[in-house]
Amino acid sequence: MSELRFEALNHAELTNVSASFTAGTQVVIGSERDGTGTLIQLAAGLLRPATGSVLLDGVAAWSNAAARRRIASLCADESLLPARDVSGAIRLSLRARGDASSALSVLDAAGLAHFAARRVSQLSARESRAIALCIALSHREPALLALHEPLSVVGLVAQDFVLQTLSRVAAAGAVVLCTENRLEDAARLSERASALERGLWLGSAQARPALGAVTLRVHTLEPRRLAARLSEAPDISGVEWTGGHELLVHGSELERLAYSVVANARAEAIRITALKQDAPPLEALAAARAGLAQACYEQARSAGTATRPS
Amino acid sequence: MNGVGIGLALARERLQSASALLVLALSLAGLFAIGVLERQSDAASAPDDALRGAVFGIALPLLVYLVSERACEGQRLDRSVDAVARYGSDRRAALLGVLLASALCSALVSALLTIAALLGAHAPSAPSLLADLRASVGIALLAGVVYALYFGASSLLGKRGGGRKWALIVDFVLGAGASALAAPWPRGHLRNLLGGDPVVELSQANAWFALGAIGLACLLLSALRTPE
Repeated sequence: MSELRFEALNHAELTNVSASFTAGTQVVIGSERDGTGTLIQLAAGLLRPATGSVLLDGVAAWSNAAARRRIASLCADESLLPARDVSGAIRLSLRARGDASSALSVLDAAGLAHFAARRVSQLSARESRAIALCIALSHREPALLALHEPLSVVGLVAQDFVLQTLSRVAAAGAVVLCTENRLEDAARLSERASALERGLWLGSAQARPALGAVTLRVHTLEPRRLAARLSEAPDISGVEWTGGHELLVHGSELERLAYSVVANARAEAIRITALKQDAPPLEALAAARAGLAQACYEQARSAGTATRPS
Repeated sequence: MNGVGIGLALARERLQSASALLVLALSLAGLFAIGVLERQSDAASAPDDALRGAVFGIALPLLVYLVSERACEGQRLDRSVDAVARYGSDRRAALLGVLLASALCSALVSALLTIAALLGAHAPSAPSLLADLRASVGIALLAGVVYALYFGASSLLGKRGGGRKWALIVDFVLGAGASALAAPWPRGHLRNLLGGDPVVELSQANAWFALGAIGLACLLLSALRTPE
């Protein structure tokens, strides 16, 4: 059983990422701008972290060739090794991995045998990624598969082949870490999901509470009386008196919250001098966005489960 | 050992191209023509002038620079092997393979440049041609290897191996002198071996030794500054 750990990782977009993954498939939702591409490169030992560490079974893959040999990866931008044709590039990759398989068998397994004689320079970026995915999925005993948006090449490579291979590898005790930008693709890949939002790491538990948390700042000359009235109102989840003439009123929906505050103040003939939404901190905004992504993801997943034939 | 072989194969693939052959062919033709012109100007000193000026002074460092640039794919030497390191190759071993390919290719190119210039500078039936070839080709082979290691090590500096460019400039500028400032660079010692002014009064035997030391230092520096 393998384990991948990010410890206080800072690199390019990524800010203080700490997370650990055990055997199984895990998906990280986010775009390249959020740092998913960098995360995969760091996990695969292709980049040295600026600070912090990335450990596969306690070893930093960046500086350990044996650890890298147990990793197969697919990056955001792929270019095959220099060679006259695709099969030559794959042959060199397999040789570097110490794998005796033939290039043709690797391509054939993914249904890409027709690429064997193509010149490397004539491949499109998507075709290069498809072949890089083939090479990654052909690893016999990986401890880690680090894949950036593996389902984006579906069409060139069969989706069933990708999903079945990932399941088999995960069942054998490897960590399969995928990043996905599209929620429906994330739902196909795994039940376990986290999110990256502009470099901030958001585990699913962390992302949820931020969903729907809205706060209003209410200025009034009678804060204690208004607080007493609002504490009993059904649309209000909490009231804080900050001292002075200001109340912080929490709820789940901005419009209903504001309406409730105004209605209760009018009923008690309390004058409100100012009412404005409390700007949440950036982390909370990021968490809320990731929480929405998580909710959509789960919705897509449950819809997929419901329609799947038994 | 497998890592060295992988690095060698990687560099060989990078160095194979029609444009590289074209540049080599044009350089050989140009140096042959310079040799002929030197011979028409002064037949006695033509071989020395062609070798010290056009071959070892300009063409050889420039072409080896291009070979090194191409073998590293225009990147830092240590990053140039990332493409195979991701599959589990030892970076250090792969880097030695890249340097080996670069050094062998540079030595071959240097020898060919020298031969082309000497064939132009000597009359076809000149009795000294063979002796000159024997002596100069040995120096050219060493020059190719040392320059390849020198450019390789210097490409460890800079985000995209920009140190390689500075190494070329420094060798041109500081290596042209004969003071202690010229001692760390290959140019002055090669000039000494070709019969020119020695660097800090070193003998020709010591110039061989100095070039070997520069090459070895560059090789060690490259290996030590690269992680596994």
